[in-house]
Amino acid sequence: MSVTQILKIARREYLARVRSRAFIFMTVMIPAFLGAYMFVLLALFSSSGGDDLRVALLDTGTGLTDALADHLANINRPTVEVTERVVVPDDSDTARARFSEAVRQETLDGYVLLRKNPDIVARASYYARETGNPALLRELELAVESTVLDELLVDTEVDVEQIRALQRSDLDTVTVSDEGEEEGGFETAFASTLGLGMLLYMSVIINGQGMAMAIVEEKSSRLIEVILGAVTATEFMTGKILGVLGSGLTQLAVWVGVTLVGLLYVLLTMSIGAELAGFDLSAALSLELIFYFSIFFALGYFLYSVFFAAVAATCTSTEELGQAMFAAMLPLIVAFLSTFYVLTNPSTVATRVLSLLPPFTPLVMLARVNVLTPPLWEVWLGIALLVLGIVVAGWLAAKIFRYALLMHGKRPTLPDLLSVMRAT
Amino acid sequence: MINTAAALRCQGLTKRFAETTAVDRLDLTVPSGSIFGLLGPNGSGKTSTIRTTLGIYVPDGGSVDLLGSRDPLSVRHRVGYLPEERGLYAKMKVVEQLAFLASIRGLDQKESTGRAGAWLDRVGLADNAQSLTSELSKGMQQKVQFASAVIHDPDLVVLDEPFTGLDPVNTRLLKELILEQRERGATVVLSTHRMEQVEALCESICLIHHGRPVLSGVLADIKLEPGANAQAVIRALLDRVEVQAVRLEHPHIEEIYLEKVGDQSAAPGAAIGGTA
Repeated sequence: MSVTQILKIARREYLARVRSRAFIFMTVMIPAFLGAYMFVLLALFSSSGGDDLRVALLDTGTGLTDALADHLANINRPTVEVTERVVVPDDSDTARARFSEAVRQETLDGYVLLRKNPDIVARASYYARETGNPALLRELELAVESTVLDELLVDTEVDVEQIRALQRSDLDTVTVSDEGEEEGGFETAFASTLGLGMLLYMSVIINGQGMAMAIVEEKSSRLIEVILGAVTATEFMTGKILGVLGSGLTQLAVWVGVTLVGLLYVLLTMSIGAELAGFDLSAALSLELIFYFSIFFALGYFLYSVFFAAVAATCTSTEELGQAMFAAMLPLIVAFLSTFYVLTNPSTVATRVLSLLPPFTPLVMLARVNVLTPPLWEVWLGIALLVLGIVVAGWLAAKIFRYALLMHGKRPTLPDLLSVMRAT
Repeated sequence: MINTAAALRCQGLTKRFAETTAVDRLDLTVPSGSIFGLLGPNGSGKTSTIRTTLGIYVPDGGSVDLLGSRDPLSVRHRVGYLPEERGLYAKMKVVEQLAFLASIRGLDQKESTGRAGAWLDRVGLADNAQSLTSELSKGMQQKVQFASAVIHDPDLVVLDEPFTGLDPVNTRLLKELILEQRERGATVVLSTHRMEQVEALCESICLIHHGRPVLSGVLADIKLEPGANAQAVIRALLDRVEVQAVRLEHPHIEEIYLEKVGDQSAAPGAAIGGTA
């Protein structure tokens, strides 16, 4: 195998891709679109909750409506306006009919119904047209809980304010590993793993499909044999993948650069900067994580691209490729979905086995490294097996490539391909 | 033992695809510095023979000596190959395309670009250097394809059906270019159905049928000289003497072709023209 020939194929592939309108469009428009989307989303988020919430309080006999109204008045986003405090005989439809109709007519945003409860003094229900805002529901829950706590603890020496502070506090988490203890929540690791995994996923899907299309087009335009007169099928495939990898990395660099600039802009200039300022970027993206991500990105990209190349070589038209593409995407999709299991179960036997299987290693081992750093030998064993997997997959794919590239009109069957792979 | 007098030598070359044997224990010798015709009807195994000898296919049996090497891939930079099924990058500029194809055939960047310009001038496409390939006519694209096969001055030029789709003017140009290749010392293997081209250009031929050679040797010998090949010619011609007696004096290779491949040559026979 000649490195020079591979680099020549890679160079042409890289230049052809980065000069194409589709590449420029995707590279520029995706961050522009996502940026605009985020801007609008953040603007909506900032403005949401500014509207007053008109709420009525219905009581079946708890006597807590005034106390609840006081707690609701402490809610800032949105501001809650208690329009009525009414005692109703029971919680029947008839008793609530006037208020439900007011909600339907949108003269009222919702109403809270308090019922007596022998165990915990009172229970509450919230009736409204919109019940999907978790932040608002959490605020209403806290107000009801505080009201009930006031009632329960009124004749005790327990400091109610302490209880309220406890209600609003999060559980601090500290990750203990061989490297020591590290403060940080699971949410940060979860978010950064999914974010980085999504970067690999998107890059492979977008560029892998582009490469597969290019192979099929070269095959259908009968260009392949001209190329194969000068380079081997393995050199051609490797160069192609490297060119695609290069264009993918270029695209990624642009996206990451734009994201960082955008993030900086948001932090410095927008009103939500104060909220985002609490987000510790260095905790989410440690140097160690970036190091391992670089390795798993490059190796994963190569492995998944080999699958795309092999599948593309067996297709004789773009229509066939559309049907066959799922086979190439399947390992990546399964690996990505596996990370959800791995993130919440980072040290089970199943996770450890998955992280050592090459098609899963790039995403699963990355998740393990991020959530609960495994023993170093396991990480490097995973990397070594991944490299071995690339070599084996590349070797088999090259056989398929050499066999299938020059087939026109007839698509090789699975038995044909298995026979080719078995042949020396 | 490597035969330096032969640009290409195959012994017992075999290539199978599942149940089909495309090349069947083929012995073939292409003398250095000659223009060699590889003939045969569709599906006879010509293209498979070429692909196997050039290392694109791995043979299932036999051996290949290509330009003195047992490993065809090691001498691929000394080979220029124009396949029968050929294409170009549609969205690439003509000069860039030619330079790229020259570079993968072993030329450095600067030389590739220089020769690309010179060859476009030679085939009359200098004005189209900056055009996209998709903007060229089919005939123009074929000239670019031919140029890409010989741009690196290969020692062996393999041309698979090079005249397909060319008009008479470009056919004449291509003939001149092929003869130029021989004049500079290259060996040319010409795979074609066009018998008049074979007679005009080739010194030696090999006729393949079902992956096996059924006739081979120097064209003049096959047509005129006594011996086994001559007997074959005479036998072929005797079969036709009642209807085409005139051809006894000036036998054409087409008749030999038809004799050797019989009724199964209906398809290639239709492609033969202008030899009566």
